[in-house]
Amino acid sequence: MTTTTARTVRVSGSGRAPARRRRVHGRDLVGAALSLPALLLFAFFAIYPGLRVFYLSLFDYSLTAPPEFVGLDNFRFLAEDPRFRQAVLNSVFYTVGTYLPALALALALAVALRRKTRGLGWVRLLYFLPVATSWVAISVVWRLVLHPDGLLNETFHLDVNWLTSSSTARWALVIMGIWKETGFFLILFLAGLARMPEEVHEAALVDGANPWQRFWRVTFPLLKPITAICSVIAVIRGFQAFSPQVVLTGGAFDTEVVNLFVYKTAFESARMGRASAVAVLMFALLIAVTLVQLRVFRRTDT
Amino acid sequence: MKRLLVWALATAGGLAFAAVLAYAVLSALKPGGEVLAVPLRWWPSRFEWHNFALPFEQTPFARYYANSVFVGVTVTLLNLVTCTLAGYSFSKFSYPGRNVAFVVVLATLMVPLEVIYVPLYALIYDLGWVNSFAGLIIPAGTSAFGIFLMRQAIDSVPDELLEAARLDGAGVLRTLLTIVGPLVRGPMAALALFIFLMNWDSHLWPLLVASDDDHRTLPVGLAAMQANNLGASGIPMMMAAAVLALVPTVALFLSLQKRFVEGVAMSAGLR
Repeated sequence: MTTTTARTVRVSGSGRAPARRRRVHGRDLVGAALSLPALLLFAFFAIYPGLRVFYLSLFDYSLTAPPEFVGLDNFRFLAEDPRFRQAVLNSVFYTVGTYLPALALALALAVALRRKTRGLGWVRLLYFLPVATSWVAISVVWRLVLHPDGLLNETFHLDVNWLTSSSTARWALVIMGIWKETGFFLILFLAGLARMPEEVHEAALVDGANPWQRFWRVTFPLLKPITAICSVIAVIRGFQAFSPQVVLTGGAFDTEVVNLFVYKTAFESARMGRASAVAVLMFALLIAVTLVQLRVFRRTDT
Repeated sequence: MKRLLVWALATAGGLAFAAVLAYAVLSALKPGGEVLAVPLRWWPSRFEWHNFALPFEQTPFARYYANSVFVGVTVTLLNLVTCTLAGYSFSKFSYPGRNVAFVVVLATLMVPLEVIYVPLYALIYDLGWVNSFAGLIIPAGTSAFGIFLMRQAIDSVPDELLEAARLDGAGVLRTLLTIVGPLVRGPMAALALFIFLMNWDSHLWPLLVASDDDHRTLPVGLAAMQANNLGASGIPMMMAAAVLALVPTVALFLSLQKRFVEGVAMSAGLR
């Protein structure tokens, strides 16, 4: 392809003005074609299924038989299904329980560790490490940490069956989630702080503001856009949770989150239509949360 | 003084975070009887290196590992090609529909896999790609974030350089390879790292399309191994397997820390 193009250019390159305009056009055509591999992949594997999920949500579909139109029956079923309601509650619990503390901790750490001192770089590194771990492998590790005779109980002299009781399993997942996710948001907040002009702080220092005032009146307002982005990402990540629930509890003890519910509905009960209906609801929820969060943060921004 | 206290607290917290990983490595090296010793025993009485052979002896762990490496590397290379080509196309050429296409690409960022995987699976099923590497690799062959990143990067390459290359008779692709490519090596490295890490972590999609031992990747295989070894006797093997699965990404992180951090920050659109 390179040679063909090069030849075209060279041949028409000897031409006059009109030929030259055509030549530019030809180059642009080649340029346009370069986007095709990506665009075709998107069309087949993102856009088509993205549209089809709405369509399938109106059908009873088991993959092996042709889809059968059922109108809004799938949504009606979900509205009355206690297991689905519980899954939503479980996801909300996991998301709020994990990401609210993780964001707060990350923000506090970012402010504490923002200086580019060598020693602090090492401390930051310790928090970043969990970000580099993969969910399934680290969940296997956390099974041992959360074992009745594991690290957590033995360190704090507790006697809790973390993974085998409805009152604690959800907390176990939250504890692991905070450990895994704080570093990710710390990276984001540190990036945000690094872009913040140093003069603002110096001005506040000169004004005699104490650290607490400096944080709430100077740093935090400037960090609001990043906090907004972080909280949107947090909700999305929260509702995507899957692996730790699969590995640690398999969804037992009130840890069957929405994503796991979709998986089981689609692939264990072969209810593809109903699973699509959940996906549609989840999509609507994610869009709504994103819009609300961005609006809330924008309003208080001014 | 107050600042020192804050730093001491932050350091203690960081050490607590890292302790989990130290515990994992040390537990993987303990003789079976010491893993769950009460009270907790941090240091093994002797290092049981043989634990690291257990997953290979008792399960198709080597196969899972090889599959993960193969799929990860292939997906990364594929993304480098498709994202760089598309970024170049969106950045340096003008043609009708370009901006619409770019916006559509960005819009797919809003739709996570979790929303579309049921119809996506149905499509892969119809294509006959279930339990095949094609099903693992091709749908993951491009990324909206990658295209966005590469377009940004290529935007900063001066048009004059491209014009000069054109006047020298270089074609579109040769310009990309000889002029643009070397100038955007940094973002390409960040993209490669990001895609590889994502792929190494990918669990849900491989679980759907590759459930047989020949195609299982590490996360799927590891989760299956865990489900088969819930008792205490399986712990040394599982810890060794988990630690081995953690090594590549943690090592990549430690050696490419700056790029890694940049990649995460970029993925949130902060840079």
